Amino acid sequence: MVVAQQQKSGAFQVLVGKIDDVLQYAIGDPMRYLANWGRLYSLWPVHLETACCSVEIGAAAGSRFDMERFGALEAFGSLRQCDLLIVMGTVTRKLAPRLKLVYDQMAEPKWVIAMGACSITGGLYFDSYNVLRGIDDIIPVDVYVPGCPPRAEAFLQGLVLLQEKIRRAPSLSGR
Amino acid sequence: MTLEAEYSPDADRIMSVSLGPQHPGAGHFRIKLWLDGDYVVRSEPDAGYVHRGEEKMSEYRNYIQNVPHLERPVILDSSNILFAYALGVDELMNNKVPQRAQYLRVIMSEANRIISHMYFLAIQGLFLGHTTMITWCMGDRDFWIDLAERIGGARVTFAYIIPGGVRNDIPPSAIEKGLNTCDWFDKRMDEYEKIFFRNPMVHQRSDGIGVLSREDAIAYGATGTVARASGVSVDVRKDEPYSAYEDFEFKTPVMTQGDVYARAYVALLDMRESVKIIRQALKKLPQGPVRLKLGPQPRVPAGEVYSRTEAARGEMSYYIISDGSPRPYRLKIGVPSAKNLRVLPLLLRNVHVADIPPIYWGLNYWPVEADR
Ligand code: SF4
Repeated sequence: MVVAQQQKSGAFQVLVGKIDDVLQYAIGDPMRYLANWGRLYSLWPVHLETACCSVEIGAAAGSRFDMERFGALEAFGSLRQCDLLIVMGTVTRKLAPRLKLVYDQMAEPKWVIAMGACSITGGLYFDSYNVLRGIDDIIPVDVYVPGCPPRAEAFLQGLVLLQEKIRRAPSLSGR
Repeated sequence: MTLEAEYSPDADRIMSVSLGPQHPGAGHFRIKLWLDGDYVVRSEPDAGYVHRGEEKMSEYRNYIQNVPHLERPVILDSSNILFAYALGVDELMNNKVPQRAQYLRVIMSEANRIISHMYFLAIQGLFLGHTTMITWCMGDRDFWIDLAERIGGARVTFAYIIPGGVRNDIPPSAIEKGLNTCDWFDKRMDEYEKIFFRNPMVHQRSDGIGVLSREDAIAYGATGTVARASGVSVDVRKDEPYSAYEDFEFKTPVMTQGDVYARAYVALLDMRESVKIIRQALKKLPQGPVRLKLGPQPRVPAGEVYSRTEAARGEMSYYIISDGSPRPYRLKIGVPSAKNLRVLPLLLRNVHVADIPPIYWGLNYWPVEADR
């Protein structure tokens, strides 16, 4: 008796699993793909300059490298509309709480690019008394762009890598 | 603060607002503002978000190791901050820097001045609502970066001017490229005048905004473009010629209005002079070595030195104390941004909120430089 019941519920679960799979393929996957496709070509970076790497962001946003053609436009609006935080260089002890605050204020899904040696490991200032050795102590990082400062092309490659990551995101929520 | 006492009759009308460190202008800097409706009553700059301890760090690196990190504070203008450092160390060590190296130093530092001013004008255009200026300046700035890259080997951080000369010789192709860039840029600057400086919209937006009088400029110790826009003729290249600057013919542009417009226009005039200097230097570049052999860990005789150069933003100075060891005993950097920051609370008073960005950026303030 007990065995038969187990077999029956097992078959039921398999059926539910099949339906789930079918739904996933028919609706879930296209939805996930569509949502992430929409996100990846409309990244809005926060304008938070932390140190000298911001010069190369200026160049990347300028007319020669034109980061807009990759679908990222410097946002001069609210943090609530932004979904990309580019940390441009050194984060000092005074700035670190503010950086965390800015990150917390952004709406999900959100991504972080750590630009420059300073934001990855502290870089040239690894032995300074006031500099954080890498921002991954305080916020999660998606893409690291090494260099001091990274060339504008290197930053753009980091952006493209991030877009690839968003395209392959396993869930609808974009993470 | 004394604000309540100062404005006690209608203290409840005053609203205090914090602008930054994340704001759509320049980041890494915060201004505390007290507003009465649309008017700024009082302001207080809050610097120090990028303080990286450069001066302390230089005490545990030797004179050559100090070169790369000392150019980072002024990444837009990296040659000029190193120029002052190299001058100081050369004086301490009694280095006879070869003439060709002196010329190359001048070329690089003037190219950097243009790169820095172009960035300044681009962002100033953005703040004045002139989108053409940011796209043009950012694009044209890259031609100068290309030239500097051919000479120095990097896009912004060259570490080109070092104690004892320059790091490497100029490639022959860069001379021709430099002369071509100068010719092209002269024509380009005429177009800037037409589209930006003679634009009625820009005039309305910047004439008479943030006026700094000549007396105040002197009293507050403003330097560089800010002082020259207010009618004070200060230019270290003229007042105390260093390196090869005596060999070249150039003027110190001075304007008298002292407003946001004058500060932008002085930058353009500065660039015209820089182009002249670069052209002269490239034409009569002497032959010879470009660098003295110093060794990886040069010993510097004990002593003190004060050296200064005219950077893009103003007077850049170093005070170095050596105790005879391979490392500086104390190294103090005097940066123009910190000198010009004193003026900001004076200018941000009784102005509209919309005028804050042009006034702030008009001082050519670079927080990384001021905080060191
Ligand atoms: S990585 Fe280099 S350029 Fe970027 S912030 Fe650090 S020191 Fe400046």
